[in-house]
Amino acid sequence: MPVVAAVACPHTPQLLIRPETEDRDLVLRVHAAFARVKRMLTDVRPDVICLIGGDHVEGFFLDAVPALAVYAGQSISGRFGRYEYTLPVHEPLARAILEQGIEREFDLTGSQDLRLDYAFYVPLHFTMPEPRVPIVPLYVNVYLPPQPTPRRCYAWGTALRAILDGRPERVALMASGGMSHYPGTDRYASPDYDWDRQMLATLEAGRGAETARLTGEELDKAGNVELRTWITLLGAVGDARAEVLCYEPSWHHGNAMVTWPVTSR
Amino acid sequence: MKEHYFFPPARAYPLNRCLFQLKSDPAFLARYTSDREAAMSELGLDETARAALRSFERDRLIALGAHPYLVFMAGLRVAIESRPTAFEYF
Repeated sequence: MPVVAAVACPHTPQLLIRPETEDRDLVLRVHAAFARVKRMLTDVRPDVICLIGGDHVEGFFLDAVPALAVYAGQSISGRFGRYEYTLPVHEPLARAILEQGIEREFDLTGSQDLRLDYAFYVPLHFTMPEPRVPIVPLYVNVYLPPQPTPRRCYAWGTALRAILDGRPERVALMASGGMSHYPGTDRYASPDYDWDRQMLATLEAGRGAETARLTGEELDKAGNVELRTWITLLGAVGDARAEVLCYEPSWHHGNAMVTWPVTSR
Repeated sequence: MKEHYFFPPARAYPLNRCLFQLKSDPAFLARYTSDREAAMSELGLDETARAALRSFERDRLIALGAHPYLVFMAGLRVAIESRPTAFEYF
């Protein structure tokens, strides 16, 4: 079955917990873009959402830091303050991705016991289609160097698409992350919005493959370490032209939401 | 230029463990909020790290090897725990 949707979106927890530090109207505009994604996902009737996210040192601490991982348990839970989530996992697809990914020489880590990170539940809080569907959490290391290179992420996305194209499920593919932000650093209040806008123009022009040539140093400098999740998705959608649903630069975060048309191969 | 995010030095493991648990272990966060000194004693932190945690000054923590993201989110979780009314304001 084809991949039936491809979406990249932000996950900053301020969108969920709405602290007084945030611009209310901006947050609500991002919520409106999430609502468009929710309608889009509902319309395409996916069987499962494969969500590529970067763990914020939540599932994986310094006991083990996999470059790429697949969660293949029955369900997965996480919480942020009073917000608690338990989401069913599509185990057959998760297992197929793990097995076939290894077969394609991507040395994936498999897990059946992780705390779910907000990179996953924040976007799903807003975009889970009706009826709800199970998920497959796919992990890319973004915050604990050495991270996988953009080239490797792109190649993994291409292999992932080939695996998904051979499966019976209708898959919505999502990437969670970005854009520019620098949590915990002295640049927190000055994201690189120009870099984001140039990147979005590149994606709108259908030149997503160029992201494979970025370096880890460039991503770190631009506050875009999380773009690795988008680059993985770009490996799956190829040169499709992106549609930008929103770009909302807050005082600390370039909130971008993007979709790509997907066609069966 | 030094990168914003780094793999922490091994000597900072107890400090990063503490920040990780503040962020991700609600029971530890509750113990830390009610008795910070006792909670820090659970993790074998040295006095330098304990003093930095008391101050919770970002640059001081990072200079000791704390991962910047962990400093950020541990601080936010402590803030939520101590000032819940600052959140969900709209």
